[in-house]
Amino acid sequence: MKLSNQSGDVVVTHALGSCLGVSVYDPQAHVGGILHVMMPVSSVNPDKAKLNPFMFVDTGLPAFFKKLYSLGAQKKRLIVKVAGGANLQNGNSDRFAIGKRNYISLKKVFWKNGVLIQAEDVGGDKARTMYLHIDSGRVRLTSAGREREL
Amino acid sequence: MALNILVVDDSSITRAMIIKTLKMTGLPLGEIHQASNGWEGLAQLEKQNIDLALVDINMPVMNGEEMIETLRSNPKWASLPVIVVSTEGSRTRIERFQRLDAKFVHKPFSPEVVCQTIEQITGQRYVSQPSDTEF
Repeated sequence: MKLSNQSGDVVVTHALGSCLGVSVYDPQAHVGGILHVMMPVSSVNPDKAKLNPFMFVDTGLPAFFKKLYSLGAQKKRLIVKVAGGANLQNGNSDRFAIGKRNYISLKKVFWKNGVLIQAEDVGGDKARTMYLHIDSGRVRLTSAGREREL
Repeated sequence: MALNILVVDDSSITRAMIIKTLKMTGLPLGEIHQASNGWEGLAQLEKQNIDLALVDINMPVMNGEEMIETLRSNPKWASLPVIVVSTEGSRTRIERFQRLDAKFVHKPFSPEVVCQTIEQITGQRYVSQPSDTEF
């Protein structure tokens, strides 16, 4: 998880496979950040969730949003973009479907908290890298040598 | 209370998958025992202190349905929580398992589904949700 309110900063998260990258930006406060979550629910390892809540969707999102609020972001202004949740099993089925379950868990937490996703690029079988430009809120994705705006 | 679980399936790979899934549920697990058919499953029940059985249907020697019928006829195991885990699942067959007081989970299954089914059948809440999920 990385946050910034410095206009020249670009927050980056690399190698989003089944993990999800959640970019959140407040265009008025020019505050934003990226959360990189790895697992859908903290119940699989509550001790680890206490040490690092940002690893899990259900504990990471509340902690992340609260950090953003502490930097001056306001919920009603937030622009939320999501990427990742892929299956990188080289054509084999991902029996535990971590990427898919991460995304379902995320949607559930967002729905409960009334948060809408403005743009997303999830699923597929390629790893992604996500960039958030703090000056503009622009979000870029690179994947398999290609780049796109989100 | 940690759950001692019996996994009955003729495929060692499937048993390993079920055990891995159980470990991902966050349920408090005690001992996990394995059997490759209903007959071996009944022998394990005799030897071990089992709280819950996950049972496949199609197995050699003794299939899952025969195993569950046998254990329900024994007062010792009449109320043992049993979950049938199978790719098969015709309505009539599921209803037969319901009459035997067993729950049904389709393969493939997610840890959340397994956890929810175990909590339903045992009537216990094992996995606590994080208390602070609002933001």
